[in-house]
Formats: sequence, structure tokens, C-alpha cells
Amino acid sequence: MASAEVVVSSGGAKFRQTVFDAVVFAYLAIFAVVVVYRPSEEQMLKLGENASLFGAFVVIGAILSVVLQHKNIKTLGWMIYAPPHLKQRSQDELVAPMHKTLWGVQLILSVVVTTVVGFVMTKIDVLQLLEAERFWHAMRLFGELASPNLEILPKAVLKIIETIYIAFMATAIAVPIAFVLSFLMARNIMGSSRVGFGIYFALRTIFNVSRSIEPVLWAIIFSIWATFGPFAGMLALTVHSIASLAKQYSEYVESVEDGPIEGIESTGAGRLQTVWFAVVPQVVLPYISYTVYRWDTNVRMATILGFVGGGGIGTMLMEYQGQAKWPEVGCIILVIATVVWIMDTFSAHVRAAIK
Amino acid sequence: MSASAKDSQSRSGQAIGQHILQVRNLQKTYPNGTRALRGVSFDVKRGEFLVVIGLSGSGKSTMLRCLNRLHHPTGGEVLYTDRQGQQLDLAKCQGDEILEVRRRIGMIFQHFNLIPRHSVLENVLYGSLGRTSSLKSILGMYSAEDQAKAMNFLKLVGIGEKAHFRAAQLSGGQQQRVAIARALTQSPDILLADEPVASLDPATCHVVMDYLKKVNQELGLTIICNLHFLSLVRQYATRVIALKGGELVYEGSPADIDEAWFSRIYGEGAKEVHIN
Ligand SMILES: Nc1ncnc2c1ncn2[C@@H]1O[C@H](COP(=O)(O)OP(=O)(O)OP(=O)(O)O)[C@@H](O)[C@H]1O
Ligand SMILES: [Mg+2]
Repeated sequence: MASAEVVVSSGGAKFRQTVFDAVVFAYLAIFAVVVVYRPSEEQMLKLGENASLFGAFVVIGAILSVVLQHKNIKTLGWMIYAPPHLKQRSQDELVAPMHKTLWGVQLILSVVVTTVVGFVMTKIDVLQLLEAERFWHAMRLFGELASPNLEILPKAVLKIIETIYIAFMATAIAVPIAFVLSFLMARNIMGSSRVGFGIYFALRTIFNVSRSIEPVLWAIIFSIWATFGPFAGMLALTVHSIASLAKQYSEYVESVEDGPIEGIESTGAGRLQTVWFAVVPQVVLPYISYTVYRWDTNVRMATILGFVGGGGIGTMLMEYQGQAKWPEVGCIILVIATVVWIMDTFSAHVRAAIK
Repeated sequence: MSASAKDSQSRSGQAIGQHILQVRNLQKTYPNGTRALRGVSFDVKRGEFLVVIGLSGSGKSTMLRCLNRLHHPTGGEVLYTDRQGQQLDLAKCQGDEILEVRRRIGMIFQHFNLIPRHSVLENVLYGSLGRTSSLKSILGMYSAEDQAKAMNFLKLVGIGEKAHFRAAQLSGGQQQRVAIARALTQSPDILLADEPVASLDPATCHVVMDYLKKVNQELGLTIICNLHFLSLVRQYATRVIALKGGELVYEGSPADIDEAWFSRIYGEGAKEVHIN
């Protein structure tokens, strides 16, 4: 059975290797096509046609990769995905300089191509920063920011308190929900039965998707659904916090030691009792530590959410920034920076104390 | 049954009664395909101190866990006869019946498997989880009877004064005694011990083994114990079985394990290590 395992994993490795090589090939090929044919904007917008072309290159790349695998030539995919024991054996061979190996050429080409495309895409133009007029305009702005208008300080303080509470409520509502979910999302708790595994898998998928939706997007959704303001911001943060707390918590659950679980199970304890007495004591401290960190992160996020209608100091910042009132903006930035710094220090202290 | 079993019975000087377990053709194949048990059969009598020996990987731990259903056997029978003479096949139990099997068969482990952050007394009380509802146990509402029982067993293993220490603050030997007290609180009919002294120093090791012996003789609890050191086997076992590659290769009195048996169980060229 040990050998059967190796066969299975190297089958998976071969598949991944092929896919990887195929995508790298298609990427380089598309780049070559763009450089050679210099397509017009209109042509670039034909998503369907371009995607088919990419797909065709992927297929060609996959075929190439399989051929190369048969000839035992090491591709970049092989270097990444081949199982360790295969790599081990090839260590007796002479070490070729990287640029003389296929995988080395693949790697260098991909890095160079990506960097070139990156320059073009971001329209990097350092000279722009040095144009006298632009430069002095920016300096004036910095100057105004650096002399904050403290008249609005009282309002800024009130608003940042609102932000802190938005973050607090989002965390507080998310914690109990994520706590329960974390056990349902842990493989070692759920993996033993088919139904359990189904629940585990479904929840994982749902939360992986919802975590990949940034809180700013949630805030946009909720500022339309609810009204523009702190409530919308809090809802957005709550959704995001549940997803990320549940994920992180469940990872703690998955890394607990089996010994205590076995010890409690051996007494004839039921499932809930086993989780409560053997798993929970092992995860409380990391849970608290991560939760404090989450609250701290949520304060920072809540600030940003204000920009899209999430209430708190962010909304205030957006208003003054829209009117180009830089001294007022400077004051708000000062308040935010102070609070974030305090929260950061506080959360670091709590986490250090818990360990 | 065999002459050697009768020997050990007379030598231990205590009444060893009827069968408590009759294990028949017990098999366990793990999901990854490992055949850890390939059809093991043996009997256990009420009140015995049965020791299981064998090389690492021979299937000792697997076998114990198949008896109390921490693992689920993939074949064979484990016929259990309770004090009233009722017979039950533990290998066939399903769902909540499995919890009942575990409740009746206590177990202690090489690494004690306590909850290190909880107090010694709480750990011992966890022995009563099987008969306490989830809600009550989570709220810490154990019956007065269970609390008295827990404290009693803690005193029995000689660490009553440590009741309110955290388990993690105790030495290895003391933790194993807490584990024994926890298992006793279950009021089990059989006690399994999976290398209970393998992570203890030689002196502590005897202390723990002596408590197991005390439990065996004074409470009449049947014990099935995995051990590594033959000197301990000779000192504590009333009967010995040996596993090799998932099969039973020896069954008899500890005194009868001679050179020939030794090399059959542990392989040619193996040497006995003495621990005192
Ligand atoms: N959970 C498991 N999944 C797969 N295989 C397992 C599992 N547990 C044990 N095994 C395998 O079953 C066989 C018997 O293991 P077991 O732990 O019962 O041996 P043991 O006699 O207790 O050894 P040791 O003296 O090292 O504790 C070994 O080959 C082991 O690798
Ligand atoms: Mg073992």
C-alpha cells in the first residue's frame, strides 16, 4: 500500500506539472503573438476569440509537456511538482547552469516577460514625478496635510469612536458564529463520516468564496441594501470577519493534538463532550489571540469602509478629501494613525501576554 | 484452558473466573490498506492481568483500540460477558452502543492523554462523562456521587492532595495515576493500558505498575496491558500473549518465555534489555 500511495501522488503530480507547463507555455505564446502582431484595441477586446487562442496554446503546451516528460527533460512544472524522491535520484547527475536547462529558460523568460508587461501596463513614467509644476503642487499638499486643522478634532474623535465600535460589534457578532462554524469546518472533527465530510466540504467552499470578496465590496452591497452608514459598514465587516475567523479558527482545530481527544473518547463521552473537553481547551488561547488581532484589523478596515458608505471616520475623511480641504484631512489622518497605532500596540501586548 | 494458563492462575494466588472476553479472528485493515490485525483469537478471563507483547508495529495498540472501539475492527468477533452472564459482541455495536462499550472498558495511554490545562480533579471527573448528559457536563454539574467517586479514586492512586493542581503541573508518573483514576471513575469492567510506562523512568514505572496491580487485585478489575520490557512482564503479568505482524504468535505464562520464544517474537539477534 505504501507503493500504491506513491503512484497516486505522482499521478496527481504529473497532472499538475502538465497543467502548469501548459499555462506557462500559453502565457509566453500569447505574449509573443502580441509582440509580433501588435493587435488593435478592437482585437484585444474580443474576449471569446482571445480566450480560444489561449486555450489552443494551453492544449499545445500540454502536449509539449507530456512529450518532454516522456523524454525525461525537466520542465519548470517538474521542478515544482515532482515528488521529492524523484528529485533525490537526479541529484547524482551533473549540475547544469540554470540558463542551459529548459526549466531555467522557462523561468527566466516568464520573469522577464512579466516584468516587461508590468512596465507597460502600469505606464511607469518616473519623469512625470519630476515635472516642476506637479512636484510643487504635491509638496504644497503635503505642507497643508502637515499643518492639520485641529478645529475639527472633536468631531474626528467622535467619529473614530464610532469606527472603533463598528469594528467591535462586527467582531463580537462574528465570534460566536465563527466559533460554532470552526468545528464544522475542521477536517479532523468532521472527516470521519460521509455526512460530516459533506458539511465540511460545503462550508469550506462557501467561506472560501465569501472570503475572496473584499469587505469593500460587501460594504457597497450593504450600503445599498441597508442605508448608507455605520450599520452597513458593520454588516460588511461582520460577513468578512465570520469568514476569516472561521477559517483561522478551524485551522487551530485541525492542529490540535489527538491524545486528549482519544483520552476523552475512551471514557464513552459523546461527540459534543469530546469537542468541548478535548478540543476547546486546546484552542481557546489561539482563538482569543486571533480575535484580538481581528478586532485591530477591523478598525483599520472600518476606516476604509467609510469611503464607500460604511460610516465612521472614513466617511468624514471622504467628505473633506472631496472638497480638497487638506488641513482637515491632515487632522483626520493624524487621529486615525494614532488610534491604529494604539490598537496595534494593545493587540500585540494582549497576544504576547496570552502566550 | 492450556496448562500454562492454569500455572499462572495458581501462582497469582487469586481467583480468576470465567471468560470476560473471547476474541475471535479479530481483523483490522486501516483505510490506507495496512493490515494491522490478521485474525487474532484469544480469551481473557475475569480478573486476569493479561500482558500483550510484540515488536513496534506488530498491532498491539490497534488491538486494544479494537476492543474498546476507539478503532473499528474490520472483521471477527469480540464476545464480552458481563457480570450477569449476558453475552454481547462488541465488534458489532453501532452508534451509541459504541459509547457504552467505551464506558465499560477504561483505557490509559502512553502519553496519559489528560487535558493539561484543566485541574486534576476535573480530569478524573471526565471519567463520568459517559453517564452525564452533555449539558450537565458542560455546565460542570456532576452528580455528588460522581464527585465523591472521583476524589476517592484520586486518593486510591495516592495523589488526593494534588486535586486542584493543573494536570500539566504534575510529573509523568503522577499524570499516569490521574489517568488511572479517570479510567476507574468510569466504573469499567476491563481496563486497557497501552504502554502505560513507556515514557516514564524505571523507578516511576514500577510505581505506576504497582498501582495497576493494586487495582487488579483489590478491585478485581481485569487488565489488558501492552508492555515493552520483559522484566516487567514477568513481574506483573498473570498471562502473556504476543503479536507479530498482526498475528498471535505466543500465548502462555510469562515464566515460559524462553530464549527460543524470545527470538521468535522479537526476531533473531534481539537481546533482552533489563529494567529495574
Ligand atoms: N491510524 C492508522 N492508519 C493507518 N495505519 C495505521 C494506523 N495506526 C497504526 N497503523 C499501522 O498499523 C500497524 C500496527 O500499528 P500499531 O500502532 O497497532 O502497532 P504497535 O504494536 O502498537 O506498535 P508500537 O509498539 O510502536 O506502539 C503499523 O504498521 C502501523 O503503521
Ligand atoms: Mg502502540
